[in-house]
Amino acid sequence: MLVIGGGATGTGIARDLALRGVKVILIEKSDLNAGASGANHGLLHSGARYVYSDAEAAMECRAEGLILKQIAPHCIEETGGLFVAVPGDDEAYIADFPRMCERSGIPCRPLDVKDARQMEPCLSQDIIAAFGVEDGAIDPFKLSIENLNQALDLGGEYFDHARLEEFTIQHHGIVNARIFNTKTRETFFIEAEVYVSATGAWAGHMATLAGIRIPMVYSKGSLLVTGRRMATRVINRLRKASDGDILVPGGVVSIIGTTSVRADSPDGIFPSVEEVDLIINQGKQMVPALGSRRYIRAYCGVRPLVKSEGDDDRKLSRGFSLLDHANDGVDNLITITSGKLTTFRLMSEKTSNMVCGKLGISSACRTRDLPLPVTSTGEWTEPGVSLRQGFHLSDQEDTMLCECEMVPASAIDSIAADIRSSGGKPDLLSIALRSRLGKGPCQGSACSVRVLSHLYNKGEISGSEGMEGLRRFLNERWKGEHALLWGTSLAQSSLKEMIHCGLFGLELGDREIE
Amino acid sequence: MTGHRDINCDLLVIGAGFSGMVAAARAASLGLKTVLAGNSGSLLFVSGLLDYLGVYPMDASATLDDPARGLARLKKDFPAHPYAVTGHERIIQSFEFVKEILGAGGLSYHLSPQKNLSVLTAMGTRKPSFMVPKTMIKGTSLFKERKKLLLIDIKGLQGFSARQVAAGLGNHLSEIRTLRVEIPNIRKAVPPIVLAGFFEDPEVQNAFVKQVLPFSGQVDIAGMPAVCGVNNSLGIQQKLEEMTGMDLFEIPGIPPSIPGLRMKNAFEKKLTDSGVRLLSNIHIKAPVFNGKKFTLIGETDSRELSIGAKGVILATGRFPGGGLHARRERIVETVFRLAVIQPVNRSLWHGLDFLTRQGHLINRAGIETDPFFRPLDERDRPVFQHLYAVGSILAHNDWTRLKSGSGVSQVSACAAVDAFYQSLGKGKP
Repeated sequence: MLVIGGGATGTGIARDLALRGVKVILIEKSDLNAGASGANHGLLHSGARYVYSDAEAAMECRAEGLILKQIAPHCIEETGGLFVAVPGDDEAYIADFPRMCERSGIPCRPLDVKDARQMEPCLSQDIIAAFGVEDGAIDPFKLSIENLNQALDLGGEYFDHARLEEFTIQHHGIVNARIFNTKTRETFFIEAEVYVSATGAWAGHMATLAGIRIPMVYSKGSLLVTGRRMATRVINRLRKASDGDILVPGGVVSIIGTTSVRADSPDGIFPSVEEVDLIINQGKQMVPALGSRRYIRAYCGVRPLVKSEGDDDRKLSRGFSLLDHANDGVDNLITITSGKLTTFRLMSEKTSNMVCGKLGISSACRTRDLPLPVTSTGEWTEPGVSLRQGFHLSDQEDTMLCECEMVPASAIDSIAADIRSSGGKPDLLSIALRSRLGKGPCQGSACSVRVLSHLYNKGEISGSEGMEGLRRFLNERWKGEHALLWGTSLAQSSLKEMIHCGLFGLELGDREIE
Repeated sequence: MTGHRDINCDLLVIGAGFSGMVAAARAASLGLKTVLAGNSGSLLFVSGLLDYLGVYPMDASATLDDPARGLARLKKDFPAHPYAVTGHERIIQSFEFVKEILGAGGLSYHLSPQKNLSVLTAMGTRKPSFMVPKTMIKGTSLFKERKKLLLIDIKGLQGFSARQVAAGLGNHLSEIRTLRVEIPNIRKAVPPIVLAGFFEDPEVQNAFVKQVLPFSGQVDIAGMPAVCGVNNSLGIQQKLEEMTGMDLFEIPGIPPSIPGLRMKNAFEKKLTDSGVRLLSNIHIKAPVFNGKKFTLIGETDSRELSIGAKGVILATGRFPGGGLHARRERIVETVFRLAVIQPVNRSLWHGLDFLTRQGHLINRAGIETDPFFRPLDERDRPVFQHLYAVGSILAHNDWTRLKSGSGVSQVSACAAVDAFYQSLGKGKP
């Protein structure tokens, strides 16, 4: 059985099926959570956000949130959440909120605005209404890594940088898939009984490879990471979903978003200066300090929405789409797309049920109550964790390679080993994905060089691949950086340019002196 | 303030980075009573390579062999570039001046007679530069002579891998060997400044030589990170060359930069010897001009000083140095609130590719001046008769792409000081 797409859903399916005894191969065209699974708020929805627009989605969020808190507590911070309104927000909407929550069974507690400001001193003095809900924060990277790790432990296989190029289809079924490794430039084939496309925004593209059309709409959402954590709880704007209206804590930082901008394609997207300003100007109405805070990164993801009537992308269902392409004449292909991080487990379960139906396997889903194991490689994405680790290691021959985020050499070594053991090749980008490397205020100015030379010394990298990897790393970080450059962030980024362009001349490529 | 000034001088130079140091040295050499105020820690961020013009046009297929040739085109394409008013001869003179100043401060540089030098970096790339520390010079002719090269890194020194530098060189040399030297008592990470200090210790030198010696006879030359002593680096290098029997050269890398530290020390020695008053770790603010003199406030942690000056040179740098500050909506100059030439809105500041060859538009933002490096107001007139702006704060010079940083800094610093000197009626400098 082949799963395409290494996001929350793909890794969730891999684990679900592995637990049912199915032999699973997971392929990912770039790296874990490279799509929307890694580019969201990290918000574990209480469901309250959807009580107006989609009561069913609200109830799903509520149920799945409770399950995830049970099975994956190490990926979740139970922060609690607030919904707050500011002057000018729709009063009928505010007044209706408790009743709407009750309709979907979402716990919601009215708060005195004074109490709310005591709970979260960052809130504006002007808030006119506040409610307490059971939102939480979830680390999507840790979640996917842990799901994948268990799938691998149970005999699954994983290939990253493995791009699906072509399906061979005979007699209403896929016979094999041709895969191209974009790093080694090798081509190989995988034969499976069932193929699942868990490719998120790329579901439409994947379906066309099987001759099937899925009408999709792409809605880009951008988010900003603040230099420090702003609040204890999740803070939502109490209004119809709009720009810059959710602030979620993530370890030592906070994340404010989002926007909703139509995109023609899920590829080549980036947060724009206009979106950044929109988010800040909206967000500061709830939390004034957002107007003056230092931001360390911007990123964006694409909401893959399966097309329906209406122009407002936010109104399109955030529920998921599970498609059995037997209906389109390809018996052993399934697409799962859309949906929310909070409901990834449910999406994985439903998809796996469909797979088992096709394989004639009757074993039941176990992810509803079987805890997600804690493995060591999941440790490094949470800001602050590496700091404690650094002190533990202080008596060994270990050195700090990333000083902003305190990532020691031993962490880089263990991450590199993990990448190798799952069939990948370590480079700066793949290590950054699994650690806080380069995510601190210096944006990877010096730590990129330190880690790179460390990898050369360890023999993990040789030849010109290190330089190419550094260029990729810098350009990738730049996507999340360039729209946020003012104040100290700009000073830091100028310094980075002084080093990498001014001295090392990385922009020159392999030009030589005449 | 009731007219009392704690310090009076002819010329106040604000900013103790490279251009401020050069301006103060130039002023002192002309006998002006000079005060230099700023944080000289900024020199720890410079590589120590002094560039003229390494790339032009920006999308050329090769770096410039002869910077004067690039200069001719640059002047035609960008008449507002700071080089356009100075010309080749004065640029060369400024290199000669800086070479002399640093030499007097105990630091030897090699000034190329005409052509750019190709300097190997810690990244394994080669950077075109024009005047380099003598401790780096032997590394600039590796390729023509296809030498047998030993690359040395040092255990505990981060951000420098001999293997990585070797990988960058590819097949351009007949033979490359790598060696990791262990310095006694360094178990884990060692800051470059501490390591450079260690190299002044004969015991450390002996340990180094002992590990390098087995390669003598097998290679012609050895490259190592630029940590060969803080003081007397050339003398230490020569001693190590004698002991190992091979040529040595230093390779510049990420900050903190020892070649930058040596430069800071050399400048400060020379400036102190010349009677320049150095005010370090001071923040200069609140400029007032009374029609004859400037008065500025220098703020330190403990007190405020009032500084009176006939002329002021603004050498405050860009964003890292604090000379320019970017708000979310626009860029401002921080001391005099001068007009800053800049793109009309923030979405134009940066392109989508960090490593774009054309550079980002924000890098061309800065202060526009008249030919004497006096900042202009909105109507293109000098803001003050005796206010000058020099160095990286100047507009139209993307030095990260042109590899023109120190050249523009030193020629503008010299030209501005000369202009000030002449305007005082003291004749031609």
